[in-house]
Amino acid sequence: MSKRRFVRSGVLLAAVAVLATACGSAGKPVDPAPVSDAAWPQPAHVAGGESGAGGSSDTSCNPLASLAPTGGTAIPAGSTMAKIRERGKLIAGVDQTTYLFGSRNPTTGNLEGFDIDMVNKIADAIFGGHEGKVQFRAITSSQREDVLIGHDVDIVVRTYSITCERKKKVNFSSVYYVAGQRILVPKEKKVSTLADLSGKRVCAAKKSTPLTKITTDPAKVVPVSVDNWSDCLVMLQQGQVEAVSTDDTILAGMAEQDPALAVVGDRFTTENYGVGIPKDAEDMVRFVNAVLEDVRKSAWQASYQKWVGVPLGPASPPNPQYQ
Amino acid sequence: MTTTATQPAPPGGPGAPPPPEEGRGGIAGLLELPGQAVRAVTKSAATTPGRLTVIAVGLVLLSLLAGLVATLSVQGRKDTINGLIEHREPLAAAAQQVYRALSDADATAASAFLSPGTEPPELRKRYERDIAEAGAALAKAASDSADVAEAAAQVDVLSQRLPVYTGLVETARANNRQGYPAGASYLREASELMRAKLLPAAQELYRVDTTRLADEQDDATGFPWLATLLVLALLAALIVTQVHLTRRTNRLLNVGLVVATVCVAVSLLWGAVALVMQGVLVGNGKDDGSHQVDALVRARITALQGRADETLTLVARGDGGGYEKDFTGLALQLVGQDGRSGLLGEARDLAQGGDAAGDVEKASQAAADWLKAHKEVRRHDDAGEYSDAVKLAIEQKRPDGAALAFQHLDDKLQDAINVGRQAFLDGTRGGDRALTLLAPGVAILAVVAAAGATMGIRERLREYR
Repeated sequence: MSKRRFVRSGVLLAAVAVLATACGSAGKPVDPAPVSDAAWPQPAHVAGGESGAGGSSDTSCNPLASLAPTGGTAIPAGSTMAKIRERGKLIAGVDQTTYLFGSRNPTTGNLEGFDIDMVNKIADAIFGGHEGKVQFRAITSSQREDVLIGHDVDIVVRTYSITCERKKKVNFSSVYYVAGQRILVPKEKKVSTLADLSGKRVCAAKKSTPLTKITTDPAKVVPVSVDNWSDCLVMLQQGQVEAVSTDDTILAGMAEQDPALAVVGDRFTTENYGVGIPKDAEDMVRFVNAVLEDVRKSAWQASYQKWVGVPLGPASPPNPQYQ
Repeated sequence: MTTTATQPAPPGGPGAPPPPEEGRGGIAGLLELPGQAVRAVTKSAATTPGRLTVIAVGLVLLSLLAGLVATLSVQGRKDTINGLIEHREPLAAAAQQVYRALSDADATAASAFLSPGTEPPELRKRYERDIAEAGAALAKAASDSADVAEAAAQVDVLSQRLPVYTGLVETARANNRQGYPAGASYLREASELMRAKLLPAAQELYRVDTTRLADEQDDATGFPWLATLLVLALLAALIVTQVHLTRRTNRLLNVGLVVATVCVAVSLLWGAVALVMQGVLVGNGKDDGSHQVDALVRARITALQGRADETLTLVARGDGGGYEKDFTGLALQLVGQDGRSGLLGEARDLAQGGDAAGDVEKASQAAADWLKAHKEVRRHDDAGEYSDAVKLAIEQKRPDGAALAFQHLDDKLQDAINVGRQAFLDGTRGGDRALTLLAPGVAILAVVAAAGATMGIRERLREYR
């Protein structure tokens, strides 16, 4: 009897022990591969705001007044145009990174855009046709003065704003396009001014006037700067910035690459684009102005509609001013 | 690690001779000793038979210990060599593969991007192959990195970021196909991810695995101090015992002890010859093999990164000054100031007189051609002749183009790397073969020596009964 009791209590004890261990906490399952962050990849050299790049603060002249097209599109012997015609090629400094104004079509490998159309019009006036008559030279914005001063090119047509400071080194044609800083945001966003973006991240290219503008604007947006304008588009598409702000010409090119984006608000700066010409080639300035007079009649509207009419809405050619 | 081989094992371990069954007198006493060993030894050492017993026990223990340590040391070394062939070198090669494939993907994606119209199918295939190779080699590298924290961290970075990289490249392609310049920016972002995150991780992984390979090669060629000392001590003890017995008994030879001495001498000689051969062969595998491969791999990856810079300068379309600066630095690393030194010069010096010498020389020539073509590419691009620059940079069939010269350089370096890997395998496998049967041989000889010593001393002990 006592032996059975002993056995029974033994069994009971064992059962309690088993239950006790079974009921204890089993801990948490192990995370086999913990990942702390899945950070977005970024374009190279992303940085913050800058206020160094000054706008067109120099008001010592009327930048828009160019030389009058007194001789029309006639080419007198010994003129700059005659030399270009003898050479057989017009050398033009252009952009190959700004979609719709001057960019390389990856399918054909050719340059195209509004600025390229202008170059072709000038070549038409010199040679009576532009096919094979233009040598495009892709330059960066910082090279624009240098290639003109060094006579490496005959003209620069590269979203080139006319300013008094630049006019001291090079000549400009009359204004052929008026641009201004605006904002690019996803279509569904209710934004029309920088103030609507207060506290939000806004992208601009380094050392650019628009970056200075958004950095110093009282709206207090958070500036994000990158090496290239199209890096801004990448960051906007990836949701790393809320908006991009620069000249509407560049924004139009971005909006054209992504139907989910729109250029919004009014221009809050004014940039007058002109054709850059070497300082000593005044006959060329008058000649180009005569060509632009013709272009304003109909070709301008055709080019505008072809390239930027859809993203930027209707516009008309700017009126020229002469000294 | 060979430390396991030097752990003294308890006497009478595997291979100990069965004690003689008919043991009497001193032998029987020996068998009963374990509990009071010290006391008994001191006591019996006072008498001649006692002293002989102590000597016998000492010789047997020393034989067995020396045999055990030598056997384990040789076996450990054989395991290390096999580990080199089966694990370390393949892992270093896998890390190298990850590094190379990623660098190549970066360069190839940019080249494909530059081609006007649809990208050339051979470049697309090459890129896809690079990504597949990188993934496969990464899985291989990951399989062994779990216990090495610094390798595991790099594998983590690579596994997490490689899919992001391919996503960006595809976005770049999609944009480019539609003629959108945003494609170039996506490609530059992908390249930035590659350069800032993936390639440094791959480089570190490669460094870790290469260092581990070199360390184990040193392990496999180190001198087996403990085993050598024990065997020499045993040999000395046997000789001293025989001299002692000869003086005591005026008998010149004791067959048992002579047999034991011969066994130990044979082990020593065999071991010395085998280990010297093995050391030389594994050393060859390192110098002509893995060490040379390392220099070649570094040259090749430097070249690949330079090629990526060359093409990305063009992708950046007039805004690629940073890439060109990179290129200049890499070119300097690759061929040095004089065009004959740098990493390629280092590889050439290492390969001198070897099988890979011809390949490395041809690679140097190709590097010179490539750098010359690069200068032309830059001249065209800087003069605004972008299309000409692109053609010169990427057209695969152009004899004076950068693509062909670079391809030649890459191929020749690959050939030289293959020669080096073969040299590693031949040398190391030869080292392994030099140790064939040494471990069991030493064990058997040790047992025979122990038995010989026992028999020899027992013969003398009999005279005192």
